[in-house]
Amino acid sequence: MSFLTVDRLNQVYTDVYTNEHTVAIDDVSFTIPAGEFVSLIGPSGCGKTTVLNIVAGFVEATGGAVQLEGVPVAGPGPDRGVVFQDFALFPWKTVLANVAFGLKMNGVGKAERQATAQEMIDLVGLSGFERKFPHELSGGMRQRAAVARVLATEPSIMLMDEPFASVDAQTRRVLQQEVLRIWDLRRTTVLFVTHDVDEAVFMSDRVIVLSTRPSQVQADIRIPIERPRSWTDMHTNEDFVSIRRELMGMLGVEGAEVAP
Amino acid sequence: MSVQTTAKTSRPDPPRRTGTSAAARWRALRRRPLVTTLFPFAVVIAVWAVVAELGVFPSAFFVGPATVADSLLTSVQRGILPAYIVDSLTRLAVGTGVGLLVGVALGFLIGLNRHARRFSWPLLLFFQAIGDIAWLPIVIIWFGFSLTSVTVVIVYTVVFPLIISIVAGLDAIPTNLLRAASSLGASRWRMFWEVYVPGALPGLSSGVRTGLGYGWRALIAAEIIIGTSGVGFMMFDARRQGDVSHVFVGMAVLGVLWYMTDALVLAPLEKETVERWGLVEGIGR
Ligand SMILES: Nc1ncnc2c1ncn2[C@@H]1O[C@H](COP(=O)(O)OP(=O)(O)O)[C@@H](O)[C@H]1O
Ligand SMILES: [Mg+2]
Repeated sequence: MSFLTVDRLNQVYTDVYTNEHTVAIDDVSFTIPAGEFVSLIGPSGCGKTTVLNIVAGFVEATGGAVQLEGVPVAGPGPDRGVVFQDFALFPWKTVLANVAFGLKMNGVGKAERQATAQEMIDLVGLSGFERKFPHELSGGMRQRAAVARVLATEPSIMLMDEPFASVDAQTRRVLQQEVLRIWDLRRTTVLFVTHDVDEAVFMSDRVIVLSTRPSQVQADIRIPIERPRSWTDMHTNEDFVSIRRELMGMLGVEGAEVAP
Repeated sequence: MSVQTTAKTSRPDPPRRTGTSAAARWRALRRRPLVTTLFPFAVVIAVWAVVAELGVFPSAFFVGPATVADSLLTSVQRGILPAYIVDSLTRLAVGTGVGLLVGVALGFLIGLNRHARRFSWPLLLFFQAIGDIAWLPIVIIWFGFSLTSVTVVIVYTVVFPLIISIVAGLDAIPTNLLRAASSLGASRWRMFWEVYVPGALPGLSSGVRTGLGYGWRALIAAEIIIGTSGVGFMMFDARRQGDVSHVFVGMAVLGVLWYMTDALVLAPLEKETVERWGLVEGIGR
């Protein structure tokens, strides 16, 4: 059963000052079955964020439709949890209150939501930082908190827009493994936007490649690498190496070799 | 550094043996909060005393700190100054209280409602241009030499900076915070209390600061023109009698009262909210 259906999506932006039209997405269709981890990659400016924003309900598409479990998407909602590149944690709330926020909004009692939030904080490895404010945390810790905040409400699907782009390379690898570890426990459906080929291949069951703007689906590639995955043996994995090369070629990054 | 933390943070100097240089002792002294706060004032007062002693200006125009302190003491002993301060502060409290209520309500309405904003923005700019004291003539015609007139002028000056700062604060809330809240299931009502209100606090607090400062000035202006009591009235009355030293007393009192408002009310509130959340850096600290 297809769980998320993105059907013939089209998005034209109109500049309010010049009245110029930009066709960001020409015609994008794909489906994601329940429990799959799917990455959306493509060159910068091809409309990845736009697709994710439409699925999240932040932007209304100029054409096409999105259905989640057969129900058309209209506006944002807690069934689709979003992890943002800039974390989007509430600066005036502690880590605990941030993680409990979704539960509070959905009428869960205080004791119960704090218990759940604590569980999520432990899960993402932030124990001991419950009372800290976001500005007191490192970038990596903030993104852990943001992931915990989304997990707490048990969304049907998680939407992540370049979630690790604002953290340093070292932390990024750790977080990629961490998110996979957590994902393995729950197998929530994930739509993951990135422009990083390595990240897409490492994380996903499937990688959908968008062409340059106005974008269409250029390729849809299955990643047969066994889970659990870890970066330590990834660069010697034949599937990883060959898929990576194939994707690099598609994105026009010719001659790229795997870093040792 | 706020004044009320002084008692907690200043410790006696560690016992010093002979041989400690004067410079080291001076450096240790300079680290004490009370000393840090008072030192700049001590310098100003010293310069003032020297200028007065040298007789650069005739004493009918310029008196020294000793004379001013003397006048201050007599007017405190006679009970005039305390009564005037209470009068001024009461007027300011009534005016800014009403101003805050009106300004905060209008600020959020205009900041969050598209129609309200389109309607009111040109009016805001127009009326903001008519400065506080420019209203005094018509206000006196309407309400006479009364507390109502003073209050109207203070409310007027407090409201505009407050509205504009709140609108700017609301506009500065990152889109992704609003998106995050709504995707986590926040209703419009919840969004208001959980995101818009705290998100607008940096704007609100700077608006309160500006508004209160303007209100304070408007109060003194109003007291000078229509007052029968209060610090502003005292200064103007002293001028009429050629009593320069009481004019100086009034000026010093204004400065001290504002400093205390900042140190006892504004700074602690900001410390607990916007500074704690990392939304603004400590102001002037
Ligand atoms: N709100 C907007 N208004 C106008 N143009 C936009 C808007 N958002 C995105 N675009 C344009 O649409 C195209 C796709 O943007 P985006 O979805 O952010 O791409 P990506 O995330 O793949 O880098 C870009 O050319 C961008 O300039
Ligand atoms: Mg993007």
